[in-house]
Amino acid sequence: MLKLHDMFKVYRTDEVETVALNGVNLEIDQGDFVAVMGPSGCGKSTLLNIVGLLDNPSDGDYFFFDENVAKYSESQRSGIRKRNIGFIFQNFNLIEELNVAENIELALLYHKIPTAKRKQRVANVMDRMGIAHRAKHMPGQLSGGQQQRVAVARAVVGDQPLILADEPTGNLDSVHGQEVMELLRSLNAEGTTIVMVTHSPSHADYARRTVNLFDGHVVTDSLRAA
Amino acid sequence: MIWNNIKIALRNLRKNKLFATINIAGLALGLSIYIFGGLLVSYERTHDAFFDNSENIYTIGSVAAPDLNLGIDLMNAAYSAIGPIIETELPDVEAVARTITEEYLVTMGADSYYQMIRFADPDLLRIFSMQYIHGDNTALDDPSGIVISATAATKYFGTTDVLGEVVTLNNEFDYRIAAVIQDIPQNSHFNSMPVMDVVLDVIAPIKALVRMRDWDEAGGYNNLSMGNLTYVMLPSTLDGAWLQTQIDSIFERLVPDSAKETISSIFASPISHANLSIWDSLGLPIVTVVQLLSFLVLVVACVNYANLATAQALGRSREVGMRKTMGATQGQLLMQFLTESVLMASIAMIVAIAALEIIIPLFNNVANKVMTLDYMRTLPWLLVTTLLVGLCAGLYPAWLITRASPIDALRDLARKGKKGSRVRAVMIGAQFAISAFMLSIVAVVYMQNQKINESSYIFPRAEIYSLNRIGVDSIQDRLDTLRHELESLPNVDSVGWSSQVPYEQNHTTTNVTQIPGDEAGKFSIQLLRMSPEFLDTYGIPILAGRNLNRDVANDIYVDEETEVLNVLVNELTLTNLGIASPQDAINQRFFDLDEEDTLREMVIVGVVPTQNIVGLFNEEKPWMYLYRPDAFRIGSVRITGGNMLTTIEEIENVWDRVIPEYPMQGRFLDDVFDEIYNVFKFMNMTLAGFALVALSLALIGLFGLAAFMAAQRTKEIGVRKVMGASSMQIARLLVWQFSKPVAWALAIALPLAYLGSNIYLDFFAERIQSPIPILLAAGSIAVLLAWCTVAGHAVRIARSNPVLALRYE
Repeated sequence: MLKLHDMFKVYRTDEVETVALNGVNLEIDQGDFVAVMGPSGCGKSTLLNIVGLLDNPSDGDYFFFDENVAKYSESQRSGIRKRNIGFIFQNFNLIEELNVAENIELALLYHKIPTAKRKQRVANVMDRMGIAHRAKHMPGQLSGGQQQRVAVARAVVGDQPLILADEPTGNLDSVHGQEVMELLRSLNAEGTTIVMVTHSPSHADYARRTVNLFDGHVVTDSLRAA
Repeated sequence: MIWNNIKIALRNLRKNKLFATINIAGLALGLSIYIFGGLLVSYERTHDAFFDNSENIYTIGSVAAPDLNLGIDLMNAAYSAIGPIIETELPDVEAVARTITEEYLVTMGADSYYQMIRFADPDLLRIFSMQYIHGDNTALDDPSGIVISATAATKYFGTTDVLGEVVTLNNEFDYRIAAVIQDIPQNSHFNSMPVMDVVLDVIAPIKALVRMRDWDEAGGYNNLSMGNLTYVMLPSTLDGAWLQTQIDSIFERLVPDSAKETISSIFASPISHANLSIWDSLGLPIVTVVQLLSFLVLVVACVNYANLATAQALGRSREVGMRKTMGATQGQLLMQFLTESVLMASIAMIVAIAALEIIIPLFNNVANKVMTLDYMRTLPWLLVTTLLVGLCAGLYPAWLITRASPIDALRDLARKGKKGSRVRAVMIGAQFAISAFMLSIVAVVYMQNQKINESSYIFPRAEIYSLNRIGVDSIQDRLDTLRHELESLPNVDSVGWSSQVPYEQNHTTTNVTQIPGDEAGKFSIQLLRMSPEFLDTYGIPILAGRNLNRDVANDIYVDEETEVLNVLVNELTLTNLGIASPQDAINQRFFDLDEEDTLREMVIVGVVPTQNIVGLFNEEKPWMYLYRPDAFRIGSVRITGGNMLTTIEEIENVWDRVIPEYPMQGRFLDDVFDEIYNVFKFMNMTLAGFALVALSLALIGLFGLAAFMAAQRTKEIGVRKVMGASSMQIARLLVWQFSKPVAWALAIALPLAYLGSNIYLDFFAERIQSPIPILLAAGSIAVLLAWCTVAGHAVRIARSNPVLALRYE
């Protein structure tokens, strides 16, 4: 599904050159559940941004469904993003001015979907996530766990085959964290590919495969015994 | 999608009430000023449109000869001979009519009032389609017919059914009402010429003037009075350009050379310009200025909005990032933010319109206008304005916030970075430049007006009470009695008669020379006809020689008899005559060049200082003071001590005893001065109004921006405080941040204001020394206000607990 080949990402400021990714090779198949781990500054988030088509690599190839997207422009990437990728962030990134249903609907807003159908899909996904009774609440009125459920709902409402989660449990207590992980696992079970950055080994255990990064390199890439 | 955008916009409004209020209030203020300005301009430019054929009606004006030095370039009047010449020379012209406005004592029914009457050629009623209640447009064909308005009829008779009623002018001349017309709307030049302050209530045939005071119906080249218009109506096949060519040729061929010394050409202008002709003649394009200023205020308001919205939009970076992550394109996001600013502009427009619905009636009341906000007609303009304002004001913030890459936006880099800070500085600078520009011009105009006001006190303005309309023969016979009786009143100091009083804009001139018939050495001299007491009344000292004297035969001018006359002159006349000192001037002679005059030779018997009799914007000129009783029009009573009002009552009692058949018409000399001075004061007030709005907008903007910037730098401030910076140092840091743009704004605004204020100053002969100190002072005030606005914030932030500041992020 995804193939990163000899990928570099270099950040340049006036004087300093920081190498965030240093020749990463990585392949992710459809239906995978990958946890990316590593210390602060090892390039996890950079990797996720590039995989998520939010950023371009400085060098190397990136095949997204056999299409080399490494040099794509923002508008080209934007088109691929909205059809294929759902995002979940540590800090939820819900829009404060919109209620739960509207936040979820936002992900469909930029697709050409008729209003009635849009509403139907939002209602379905809210049922699935167990947040239908919160539909009219504003994000500020929800607990962190509930907010992250909304974010997950938003990530999957467009039927995107790939979900990228950047420390989805980082802002949650252990109970809520576990809930969210269960949610991700069940999504994966239904066939969604998930790439997740996390610091928590116990949450990484939900994944079937763990990639360890250090100083921009992949140091280990291990499948968890089934 | 649009609906979604609007929903988000509304919720955002609710969330940021302070910003939203400031934003909407600023835009609403700017919009109301702009719309008001636009309505006023269109109101002033569409006068007289309700007359049939108004597009075919023109007035004939005159261009003052440059060496006349009247301070006035264009006059809306033409010599009375011009109208008849046009009529005979140009058979294609449909109709020509002259009007002459004079005040008469009018007796109708039981009451007598002084009333402004427009004497007109009969065709006036064929040129202007009046609405007749009684009679028709032939009313003025009868030399004893008179036309009155419904208001006048009601005022005098209590009804409009007054056809055939007798009207007596000056207790002597009878006329009959031949037509009653509906009042002419206020938005006609007949009623709304500034300064003139005349309403069209009574129209009489011009032949009445022939009967009452031997007026020359064929017309002449003696008298040119602003407001005495000559109208020409063309067939619809001909236009103004054709008329201009024709009258140019008429001027060339048929106007005598003597008249060409006063006017250098004549011009045709459409009737729609007539109500603004006074401004044209003063060379002060007030309508254009109002248009420009109201536009500038709107620009300030838009910049204000853009500035605050930018600051605020940066706070929504995360939202933009999220939307982009989910695949929104920049175009879609631009759309969202622009929807928001257009929505804001729409709310502001509604507020502005609501405000105008209150302001316009008030303004109409004060300014005596009938402006309306006609929604049917203005709707397209209002909609387009709303849209443009929304787009212009919103485009920059929308572009700035939506152009960031999704990662940067999510990380909120835009807020922390320096992005756009230069543009914001430029915007503050621009706002400030505009308000400082206006403020400094206001200051210069104010100081110049003060100067004019102060200079006018060379005469004892406050102590003089003037008696008008004494030019009637039957009154003139009794002036001596009146003077004696008035001077015996305890608080009356002295009483002088004259052809004009100070500040009246009358110019009676003749050309004189030192050697008889010497065309080359001639210069123009102004004539003041006065009684000897005039000098006493106005406290004018005699520098050499003596005052004029009733008992010396050669001191008194008798029309068509006197050939040699003793006169007083001012010092400036001596300069023109090449006489070194007042003492040397006594018994010197000079000569009149006008061969039609009987009076040929003047002997100087006294010299007075050079004083500006017409005052205000005029320059000092040579003046000659002569004693000519038949030219007296106005009396000046100097009242010292005692209660002014009681004394005036006593004066009125005396008048009623001596001249029972005419009511007294008095007014304070201060009012004569104010009549013209108010024009300049009005300009100053208008400018000040605009400047105030622009400045408050700029300060509001600065306040909002300072609040935002301070919030943005909370963490930095916290760190600095932890490191030991004092509150003072923090406050200074924040204040300096805004000082740079304000400083360069001044550097641009002040030179422009210098140029702008010179346009105004050029109009005056006597000017303030230099506008530069005033400009600098006004600029400093603007800066000071800016500092105070920012400092208020800075101090509060600087004093806050550093720990709180640090915890903020």
